[in-house]
Amino acid sequence: MNRETVIGLEIHLQLKTKSKLFCSCSSDYIGATPNTNICPVCLAVPGTLPILNDHAVALAVKIGLALHCSISDNTRFHRKHYFYADLPKAYQITQYEHPIAVKGYVDIFAEGKEKRIRVHHLHLEEDAGKLVHPTSDGRLTGAAYSLVDYNRGGMPLSEIVSEPDMNSAEEVIAYITQIRQLARYLEVSDGEMESGSLRVDVNVSHSNPDGSLGTRVEIKNVNSLKSIERALEYEIARQNKVLDEGGHLAQETRLWDDVAGVTRSMRSKEGERDYRYYVEMDLAPISAGSEYVRKISESLPEMPWEKLDRFIKEYSISLEESLRLTEQKETADYFEACVSEGAPPIKCANWMHMEVQRILHDLSIGINDFPVPAAELGKLIIKVEKRELSNTQAKDVLAVMVEKKASLQDAVRLSGVSDGKISGAALEEAVKKVLDSEPEAVKAVRDGNDKKGAKVKFLRGLVMRETRGSADPAEVSQVVVSLLK
Amino acid sequence: MEFHKLSALDIAEGVKKGNWTASEVLSAHLQRIKKFDGQINAVVTLSEESADRDAKEIDKAVAEGRDPGPLAGVPFLVKDNFCTDGIRTTCCSKMLSDWIPDYDATAVKKMKEAGAVLMGKTNMDEFAMGSTTESSIFGPTLNPRDFDRVPGGSSGGSAAAVAAGFCPIALGSDTGGSVRQPSAFCGVQGMKPSYGQISRYGVVAYASSLDQVGPITRNMGDMAAVMEVLACADPNDTTCDSYKRPSFSEAALEGIKGKKIAMLTGYDAESMDRPLIEAIERAADYCRSAGAEIVEAELPITMKHAVACYYMVALGDASSKLACFDGMRYGHHADGRSLAEMYKRSRNEGFGKEVRKRILIGTCILTRGYYENYYVPATKVRQMIADEYAELFKNVDALICPITPALPYKKGLVEEDPVRIYLGDAFSSIANLAGLPSISLNVGFTEEGLPTNVQLMGPRFGDAGLLAFARSIENKAGSPQVADIENKGGCGE
Repeated sequence: MNRETVIGLEIHLQLKTKSKLFCSCSSDYIGATPNTNICPVCLAVPGTLPILNDHAVALAVKIGLALHCSISDNTRFHRKHYFYADLPKAYQITQYEHPIAVKGYVDIFAEGKEKRIRVHHLHLEEDAGKLVHPTSDGRLTGAAYSLVDYNRGGMPLSEIVSEPDMNSAEEVIAYITQIRQLARYLEVSDGEMESGSLRVDVNVSHSNPDGSLGTRVEIKNVNSLKSIERALEYEIARQNKVLDEGGHLAQETRLWDDVAGVTRSMRSKEGERDYRYYVEMDLAPISAGSEYVRKISESLPEMPWEKLDRFIKEYSISLEESLRLTEQKETADYFEACVSEGAPPIKCANWMHMEVQRILHDLSIGINDFPVPAAELGKLIIKVEKRELSNTQAKDVLAVMVEKKASLQDAVRLSGVSDGKISGAALEEAVKKVLDSEPEAVKAVRDGNDKKGAKVKFLRGLVMRETRGSADPAEVSQVVVSLLK
Repeated sequence: MEFHKLSALDIAEGVKKGNWTASEVLSAHLQRIKKFDGQINAVVTLSEESADRDAKEIDKAVAEGRDPGPLAGVPFLVKDNFCTDGIRTTCCSKMLSDWIPDYDATAVKKMKEAGAVLMGKTNMDEFAMGSTTESSIFGPTLNPRDFDRVPGGSSGGSAAAVAAGFCPIALGSDTGGSVRQPSAFCGVQGMKPSYGQISRYGVVAYASSLDQVGPITRNMGDMAAVMEVLACADPNDTTCDSYKRPSFSEAALEGIKGKKIAMLTGYDAESMDRPLIEAIERAADYCRSAGAEIVEAELPITMKHAVACYYMVALGDASSKLACFDGMRYGHHADGRSLAEMYKRSRNEGFGKEVRKRILIGTCILTRGYYENYYVPATKVRQMIADEYAELFKNVDALICPITPALPYKKGLVEEDPVRIYLGDAFSSIANLAGLPSISLNVGFTEEGLPTNVQLMGPRFGDAGLLAFARSIENKAGSPQVADIENKGGCGE
């Protein structure tokens, strides 16, 4: 059987602009009182006209370039018509025949190998408002009335349409993860599925033995990576079953039911709407000239895949470690700031992976909120390298830096390690360790069998060795004697 | 003082010099409206209170020695599809019968900033769809030159108001002739500037790529002055061009000696009303005597396809732009058991017959299958028409042709012969399709007192040059006087 599942995705990214796509309303609408973030333009008050947000265009071009697309030098908007309460104009302004970026690709890692996924195009469009149904499950069915919140209406979206180049859920997840990472690197979108700033529609089909593509089924309402994975698993099995039994698949849109774990038919091709796409004459064509594109191209940051390669080469760290460090740009930046203090890259990577990661996890914060500046962590790692601090001591110092938001200098003092000397609580700890390891000598001293003080001297020597000579001998004697009492 | 016979520029000059006050001028015009509009029905909403306040502001500015603006104290009216802050804006439709915007259209704002005083709103065909001003919920407007005839449309109220001496300036919107055809029917001067010359912001749309704000006046001096006030870039309308405008008033004073004007030939002159053919010949003679050279020009593609092309483009867009009237956020609302039923009932009840018809045709045109066979070819033909004109204007400075094929229609023709009325757009809609400036210029009246206007067209953004042409002809032909409505439907000069 040569049938293979083929999957294509439409990813909507909400762009991080200050204002909406066609008016000056703020894009910061989450949590706002319903229908407060609106104006005559996004409410389609008669006589108003859309004004294109140039920044949104620049961000879309940025994504397009990062996805290796060609940027169209003559792009236009179209109107997509349908009547619904979340759409005040009764048409959505979107791009149809002349999208801003076409024909690109992105490389993903999945199933242990690299794979190129082609991008058909990327276009700009406005978001719709949000319907609120006053039912217990928030669904339309059974609602006596519905409310509509236009705060989100008109938010800028960039839709990335892939070719049907994916064959498994794992590849799909890798592709989405890659796009999300890219969006965050470029700082064009938060790319959060939870808050809806990244939304995915999945198209599932199969290739026939003769190479042709089978009937396409679109799955909507997949709101997390987990549900995408589950929906795909279900849908692939469903389609295979139908085909294995000699049946035919209907071209349709299916909704994923996360609770029941099934996809359900929403509308068939026959019921497909005719959106009556046609040119939006209220907006002039956009001509992204080569100079404009060159400027944006020059402003592009290092891409995640470029950073990954560089980390491996420049810092001689493993692929695995590099992947971890470059997953988020902020983590990679932190790492590099650490290294630039002179700390060995491998040690920095280890510290970030082990200690920093643990603290972030415990505190449920991101690297941006990590209270220790990268330079300080770098200096701390150097102290360990110079053997001014033991690993254990350094971890304690880091804990104090985090807890008390203290500088390295202050934290060293607060944790009883000063000027490279081991003292106070840290010394006490070292002494205890030595005493625990020498029960016979301890017993002898406590039983009064150390008249000449040789045993104490012996224990003191061990402590000096344990602390690599960084403790004050007089203090060591004092601590040993007091602990032996 | 018969203020209603004065030009806008004379009124403004008198206000600035202190010969009279804006309040006096306003009150004279309001009185005239109240006295005669019962018959004509050109005005649908008067805003006396705000007008009074604005006039007093102008008088105060004059008293304090501040510049009150180039149109100081000039009373004006606007078509009821211009949004006016705090004044009902109905598009003469049940759909918007109680809608009060909270902003001024840019054109209205510009007029106010220039010192003009907004008196109210004028009658129109519902949502600007019509050529007779008979489909308004406020009832039909009569032609001040002959009460048995329609004033044309859709800006019939604005043209009738200027002809009747209710105001020296009124604003209309022109999608396929809606400023120029009623100007022709009412015997006044009407202009549709180049597409992108005046901001469309705040004008309730009919068709985005065709609509343009147009002034109506009784003489070209006032026209140039209004153009100077209205024509400028607007951040709220990105289809309004940002080029630096010349001084229209200065340009209008330039002569046309040595310029080349084309007279359109190759159309069916036999089917036209004879006085309108004579008017064109008269206009050409005036041009010759002003030193211009007259040549002939044919526009075969345009003359064959313009009307069909125009209705495809206009109705397709209308179905789209009027989709927002769903009765949910503003406008007429009817309840229903489902969202779809609410929409259907609200729109069925809110829109009149002609509007529903045009929305249906437009929706059909944009529907898959028809779109490829009707709309797409229409856009290609549109480009060919624009190209034909671009080619023509390489060799000539302006074109003279009819603005309408007929003298003002008798009332009720729209019911008898709607197709004839659609075909009446043959000459006027071209300027909209090609984005060109066009002026409907009066060159006298028939023996029965019916106005005979001609159309002048120029190259895109050649508005200033076109004003000069119109003014040169007007200098010879004379500018139309206020209609003699005191003696019931009498004729002008």
